[in-house]
Amino acid sequence: MAEPIAVKGLGKDYGTFTALGALDLSIPAGTCFGYLGPNGAGKSTTIKILTNLIRPTRGQATLFGVDVQREPTKALRKVGTVIETPEFYGYLSPLEVLAYAGKLRGMSKTALAARSESVLKTVKLTGWADKRVETFSKGMKQRLAVGQALLHEPDLLILDEPTSGLDPRGMAEVRDIVKSLKREGRTIFMSSHLLGEVTEVCDAAALIDHGKLLLQGTLDELAKRADATAFQAAFLAPLNADELAWITGLPGVKSAADSGNGVIEIRLAGGPEVQASVISSIVRSGLQLTAFRPVGTALEQLYLEQIQETSK
Amino acid sequence: MMAGEDLRQAVIVAAYEVRKYLRSRRLLGMLILLALIIGLILGLPPALGSSYPSTPNAFVGTFAGFASLLAVLCGVLFAADALCSEHEKRTGYFLFPNPVRRETIVVGKLMASLAASWTILLLYYGVASVAALAVTQSLSVDVGLSAAYALAYVSCVVGVAFLLSSVLKGTIAATVLTFFLFTLIFTIVGALLFVGKVDPWFIPTDAAGIISNILSAPGQGPPGLRAFVPDPGISLAVFAGYFVIGSIVATVMFRRRELKT
Repeated sequence: MAEPIAVKGLGKDYGTFTALGALDLSIPAGTCFGYLGPNGAGKSTTIKILTNLIRPTRGQATLFGVDVQREPTKALRKVGTVIETPEFYGYLSPLEVLAYAGKLRGMSKTALAARSESVLKTVKLTGWADKRVETFSKGMKQRLAVGQALLHEPDLLILDEPTSGLDPRGMAEVRDIVKSLKREGRTIFMSSHLLGEVTEVCDAAALIDHGKLLLQGTLDELAKRADATAFQAAFLAPLNADELAWITGLPGVKSAADSGNGVIEIRLAGGPEVQASVISSIVRSGLQLTAFRPVGTALEQLYLEQIQETSK
Repeated sequence: MMAGEDLRQAVIVAAYEVRKYLRSRRLLGMLILLALIIGLILGLPPALGSSYPSTPNAFVGTFAGFASLLAVLCGVLFAADALCSEHEKRTGYFLFPNPVRRETIVVGKLMASLAASWTILLLYYGVASVAALAVTQSLSVDVGLSAAYALAYVSCVVGVAFLLSSVLKGTIAATVLTFFLFTLIFTIVGALLFVGKVDPWFIPTDAAGIISNILSAPGQGPPGLRAFVPDPGISLAVFAGYFVIGSIVATVMFRRRELKT
């Protein structure tokens, strides 16, 4: 069976500006794939090409082996999408919005009624089912967007910043929905600049910046590629220069910087073994360590390193 | 050619467009305007102490004089923002990723615009005919022809409105331009052509003269002055041309247009 998403040499220019270089990407079935990058990196451009909203300048994008540009209706049949925060026709209610999408997709009346009820429950809009969308907040529209994407039980979900505009509770709920879809074996392609979100829900990720793919792999593979991992070490009393220099000289320590108030930021090169060794050395030295906690995740470290490199 | 699936989807798009007209009160607005025009035409003569025209053609002729304006307003309200609003209001992010061709969306919206516009004009002519029958006790085939010409003219307006809607970015620009094109720009161009001794048969507003002319007695122009009298056959061909070309260009442009906002 063809891969849910396969992209080859995909690029998009706007005049002399290259929004997307020549992207090669393939997403295996059943993967929850995070598509990372800062604003303007080319994430939305990729997603808009995949969903036939814009045309590529070069290359090819296929969904389940079907060329999106040549046969868009066939390519998008098994796909559910949330692109940015879509607007809905204000004069319709969520039930009518779902009915519109469902009818266009050829869903039967019975299936439509059952699925509408189910997805409205999932996105917690049951109480608003008959209210006009024009009265909805951005977060409610985002929930509806997620709901309409799930309506036809798609095999592939393409989500562009799906938690954008949601409050923390709404964000957590959308993440839970994505996790449950993942458990059902659906393929999810999700763009985000929230690294914690990607770490929480995705199996694999790609990092893009300035229209170029920088990295791609499973989250474990990417974490191993992180050059260093940052930790905060808190002490009962502030360290003097000699003590700081001693920590800097410990095996596996790339750098140590005083953050004030007895807190230093230590960057380590290596995995958990190095962490254990450094902690053990500090404790044995007699320095009164009160806390040792990671600053961000390995993915964050990698992200920042890569983005800094492309910004140079 | 549209396949069965495309036609089914076009009907769905059309049904939701009609729902838009109903819920946004555009249809209601047009019906209120219709009632005002009809009320004035029927109410003013007795109020001013004058009598109604005695022949059905002359009676409906008063109504026909406003049919062109109604057609333009129908085009403005039911067609001008049909395509550009999907981009400007970002509803395209919901609609376009569905497995539906852009051509199908245009056809569906076109069907809705024509259905709403024709309904308004048929209602207008229907009331005029019933009133004519009540006042003059008779009706003529010319009344039906005038109505048919009005329907052809409104189709022409809708075609041009769709074209503008497909190329312009904003709904306000599309709406204003459609209105002024048919109430001012075409009229000025037609007048200038006529002054330059070129018959403006290809200008829709001049060609629309057939809507009233069919109900007027021939040779009623001022004696000694050159007057342009549009030919019904040519005018209908002009309306068809504007509608077909407008619709085709609108479809091509809508298909090519990217959703970048």
